[in-house]
Amino acid sequence: MLAKLVWPAAVAGCLLAAPARPEALPYVYTHWKQFTVKDGLPNDHIFAVKVDGPRVWIGTEGGLAMLDKRTGRIRSWTEKDGLPWKVVSAIDVDPKTGDVWLGLFGGGLARFSGGRFDHWHQLNSGLVNDVVYGVAVEHENIWAATTAGASRYNTVTGEWTIFTEKNAPMEEIWNYTVTYNDGKVYLGVWGSGVLEYDVKRERWKDYLDPDGEMEIDLYRDDGVVHVITTGVSYVDGILWTGSYFGGSRYDGRNWRGYFNKDSGLPSDFINFVKARSANEAWYCTDKGLGVITDFKTNTWVVYTRDPEKHTGKAVVMRDRDVLKTIDTGINIPHNYVLCADLDGNDVWVGTSKGLAWGIGDAYYAGLREQPESEPQQRAGGE
Amino acid sequence: MKKRPSAALATAALAALVAAPAWVSAQRVKPVYVGARVCGQCHSGSGMGNQYSVWLHSRHAQAYAALAEPESREIAKLSGIRQEPQETFTCLGCHSSGANAEDWEKDETFRVEDGVQCESCHGPGSEYIDPEVMSDPQRAKAAGLIMPGPDTCDRCHQEKGTHIAVLNSPVLDVKEGLKKIAHPTPENPEMGGVPEYPAEAPKREGPKYIGSAKCGECHRGRKSGFQYSKWLLSRHSRAWAALGTAQGMKMARAKGIQGDPQRAPECLKCHSTGYQEGAEAFAPSFSIDEGIGCEACHGPGSDYSVEAVMMDPLAARKAGLKKVTKATCMPCHENAHGKPFEADLSAVSHPSKLPDVAEEPRYKTPLNMALRPGTKEIWVTCSGSDSVILVDASGREKIAEIPVGGMPEDVAFSPDGARAFVSNLFDDTVSVIDASARKIVRTVPVGDEPHGVLMDGKGRRLYVLNSISDDITVLDGATLKREKNLVASRRPWSLASSPDGALIAVSHALSRFVPFRKPSRAEVTIIDTGRGVVEDRFVAEGANLLLGIAWHPSGDFALTTLNRTKNLVPMTRLLQGWTITNGLAIFWRDGTVDQVLLDEPGMCFPDPTDVAITPDGRYALVTSSGSDRVAVVDLRKLIALIQSSSPYERRHVLPNHLGKPTEFVIKHIAVGRSPRGVLILPNGETAFVANSLDDSLSVIDLKTFKVVGSVDLEGPKVITKARLGERLFHSAKITFRRQFSCHTCHPDGHIDGITYDIEPDGIGVSPVDNRTLRGILDTAPFKWEGTNPTLRRQCGPRLAVFFTRIQPFTPKELSALEYYISTIPRPPNRFRPLGAELTEAQRRGKEIFERKYTNDGRLIPEGNRCITCHYPPYYTDRRRHNVGTQFQFDRESDFDTPHLNNIYDSAPYLHNGIAHSLEEIWTVYNPYDKHGVTNDMTKDQLNDLIEYLKTL
Repeated sequence: MLAKLVWPAAVAGCLLAAPARPEALPYVYTHWKQFTVKDGLPNDHIFAVKVDGPRVWIGTEGGLAMLDKRTGRIRSWTEKDGLPWKVVSAIDVDPKTGDVWLGLFGGGLARFSGGRFDHWHQLNSGLVNDVVYGVAVEHENIWAATTAGASRYNTVTGEWTIFTEKNAPMEEIWNYTVTYNDGKVYLGVWGSGVLEYDVKRERWKDYLDPDGEMEIDLYRDDGVVHVITTGVSYVDGILWTGSYFGGSRYDGRNWRGYFNKDSGLPSDFINFVKARSANEAWYCTDKGLGVITDFKTNTWVVYTRDPEKHTGKAVVMRDRDVLKTIDTGINIPHNYVLCADLDGNDVWVGTSKGLAWGIGDAYYAGLREQPESEPQQRAGGE
Repeated sequence: MKKRPSAALATAALAALVAAPAWVSAQRVKPVYVGARVCGQCHSGSGMGNQYSVWLHSRHAQAYAALAEPESREIAKLSGIRQEPQETFTCLGCHSSGANAEDWEKDETFRVEDGVQCESCHGPGSEYIDPEVMSDPQRAKAAGLIMPGPDTCDRCHQEKGTHIAVLNSPVLDVKEGLKKIAHPTPENPEMGGVPEYPAEAPKREGPKYIGSAKCGECHRGRKSGFQYSKWLLSRHSRAWAALGTAQGMKMARAKGIQGDPQRAPECLKCHSTGYQEGAEAFAPSFSIDEGIGCEACHGPGSDYSVEAVMMDPLAARKAGLKKVTKATCMPCHENAHGKPFEADLSAVSHPSKLPDVAEEPRYKTPLNMALRPGTKEIWVTCSGSDSVILVDASGREKIAEIPVGGMPEDVAFSPDGARAFVSNLFDDTVSVIDASARKIVRTVPVGDEPHGVLMDGKGRRLYVLNSISDDITVLDGATLKREKNLVASRRPWSLASSPDGALIAVSHALSRFVPFRKPSRAEVTIIDTGRGVVEDRFVAEGANLLLGIAWHPSGDFALTTLNRTKNLVPMTRLLQGWTITNGLAIFWRDGTVDQVLLDEPGMCFPDPTDVAITPDGRYALVTSSGSDRVAVVDLRKLIALIQSSSPYERRHVLPNHLGKPTEFVIKHIAVGRSPRGVLILPNGETAFVANSLDDSLSVIDLKTFKVVGSVDLEGPKVITKARLGERLFHSAKITFRRQFSCHTCHPDGHIDGITYDIEPDGIGVSPVDNRTLRGILDTAPFKWEGTNPTLRRQCGPRLAVFFTRIQPFTPKELSALEYYISTIPRPPNRFRPLGAELTEAQRRGKEIFERKYTNDGRLIPEGNRCITCHYPPYYTDRRRHNVGTQFQFDRESDFDTPHLNNIYDSAPYLHNGIAHSLEEIWTVYNPYDKHGVTNDMTKDQLNDLIEYLKTL
């Protein structure tokens, strides 16, 4: 891996003209590690990643893996090890019990607890459908986003509840994702926007595209950009959403849309979104990883891999303007990015060709002014 | 009293809940119960054949009150019911109408105390009671009126072992029974009504008559001596109804009274309450049809019926409560109808204190023990007496007894010994006891049927094993607030802390679910006490019933007791000592598991139940509740044997070798009956063994391994029939070479979760799921094929032929065994306590359970509806049916309809235990709608149905 400072002329030439005063720039991850089947993953198609203290759980097309950050060891489970279904499409961890909940694409729902897999599917349980796209732990309930609605499983009473068009404002029942934070469950639904479930009040609220089901955003910032929702993340009271036609941010009063044409979003085709704060969210797209690092200034860092060369770069952008480009060496293993999770200052990114670990030892939130002569951090990676 | 909505409101509420096509919903307006007194408004008088009076005079009307009789308590006991019969659905299901209905399904006019009312047979009446509807039979039927047939009676009047045993009552001859309650409608019916009080009576002021039902709101239950029920059972309550009988009519005529005696003032003066006082004297709650009510003797009650007044005798008198003397009776009874009157008040006496009756002896039944830290107090949970007994370990005597919750199972202490925690299996609670004051300071709700309980060494968390909900309640050690539930395996039983306190190991009585016809896999769950989470799960292959557990002082391994049940082949290997083998599992810290047997070829070691290890780690003591012995295992020899064995031997030979135990079991010590818990004192010199079935502790000297004393826990010395049966149930003496007892496959009367291939009809032929014994006496016939009509047959000849291969029980023993099995307690339903409202999902599920139409409006044949074969209160018709579950190796296609009470606690399901969950019964094993019409149901409907099934 690259370990030296690289400021090739070609890259340097891409930098913007030096401003009159030091530019306030976001943190850029330049220290990356990659993991593939060569390192012990059961498959390189990474569908889900979830950090659980020193453990990183990885859902792949060919099984479940766990990377122990303390030892660097990867342990994996496939069907012969008791994993009920090989395609692990979603992961969440119960913070109280440590149980790992797995969404299985075509195989239902599984719990991995103390080395034992328990399996629920549409024949042996109340799970509405076996094609599970998302899973979320909400107190003692487990939510599963499936292709035929959402299921909620109460782990104490054993009760299953199904949410479909019958009892929720779900115009379509193809649930792509589910997340829980701070008293609210959010479902991302293919064709039905974002559904918010207030756990305490047991009430639903829907967020639809006011423009209707059009692939254009007719009126800017009027709501979610599209009803085909692929990712939802709710942090610090801010709702971040992703769709196949752009992303959105909602602060409870105002919406803001993000598109490739006017932001650092590398593509409007968003597979997943993970927010770190009200200011920062990581968008996983089919053309790289776009991170909005400062909401106020619409400053982004876009991580991509050069498919032709053994390297990658980070491009710092404001709106569509490139502020800086940094050669990071290989960052993400592939530009088709499917999932991400945040791990303190670090970040884990799943792609269609392996997993990446972005190490953010000197991470800072927002923007910082940096002397032009001293790059904010080393470029390059391992 | 909770205000109930009106019938119309309730109907509307339900209609709104039912998610079905509009036109189907329209047909499915839910009728609610209105009560017999509403029916009586029209069905009174000779024009209606005095139908209402016929009912009032029937035993149906007294069915609820009959539950106050002492015999009912005995019947309840034989049904495994510990609660009052009037407070349990099983009894109320046949002794009242609408027992399973929610409040909103009963109109304000309905009273459960009216017993088995018109609507028990004719269906809830809100939609057909309108005279206009009733005058058109077709319309009435469409509105829910049922014209019952003999099958209707069968639902409650099928032969019931409990009732025969106590009342010696013959099986009801339905034809004769129908004659007794016959209430034909005259050819030209003329609707009558219950008469009003005369309006022309002189105006009066003062207290009003409120009706006996109002009195009954307080004067009910054991605490009040069942006073209201006593009145209901008396002839006074039927005094008005008596006027509507042929005899009443005859006597009226004899007195020269023409017309309807029920309306004749001369009759009503003594056949109703306060008739002469006129309409103004009566509150709207009063009705003349109650006959001679409480207030006929005690005076109108509106002023004194207030609880605060009634509690003060002087105030009550001032408010009008009359003292009753012979003179009270005389105006009506003196020479009434020419009969002399003795004025013997005892006939109607109703003291609030019930007469002292010799209570059946209550045994202690000690199960588990713990030493209170820093003291010499041994605390013993006593399941039979609902108490904890304290024993002085030095003096070896009982020093105190503390009442706790129902059926205490285990006890543990906080590290400082200040608090004791007792798991109450029957109540789903933990009693928290101030150990110094020896008083309960708090009762904490936990999960279903808590078993083991243990606090970690630092007092951070209290762990409680919920043996039915298969999870572990974790409570904060200081506040005892529930932090979370950890997932266990099946039927978590007991816990042990590692010597360093870092880990807790949990044993499980039942195997994990395994694929059909695969060997058991029993789990020990390892909890990391630092984080309070499950760290690991170790599996003993081919084993089940991991009960007692102890950690070796080295911390290298934990020991559990185990069974190795050979359930996949017919039980023909008894002669080889190889049907159910008993032993120990060694769970090494790295997850390796070894198994050894404690059986020997000539003498087995049945039902190993608990294990304790000496502080020096040298010996383990293991109790055998089936053979009344304790085995002393030399652990040094045992470990040496294991370590000198090859991997193959450790996996295949040691777990099955009957010759090996002699190499490490150095002694068997005879102790008391059915030893359960074993406790070794920290000095390593003495051990105590809880002899559950003779209420004592055996004291064992650990130098000589001899019993050197006994502690009498002061249980009754007499041995009742039930106790004898209990001893037989738990003893392996009945089995060839004492291999197992009834308790082995039915631990504590419940299930072991295993499917057995019992009969020698070929390997794998006719496998059958083990069924619970809780409350089964009234669910005959027995066995999945329904071949055993009685428990006696089941436990007598059949047991000897297929199981024990030895001389069967004597008739006396068999009778005692049957009695005991019948009394095995059935815990209350945890998903719906009596009287609780259903959740929305349960309510929708009930609709599906009782539905008559498919989602697309097709009529479901009656024989293919859930409720037809699974009707309350046991939810079984006790008949065999072909529900399409015959598999390749099943002899029969028709199987006994299982009862559904507490169905959630006895997975797996179906006759061969092939369905691990309730869902699978229909999603997998009902492809042709033979087991009810279910394939039209949506997934959420099935979920709702299951939520309802769990409430039964």
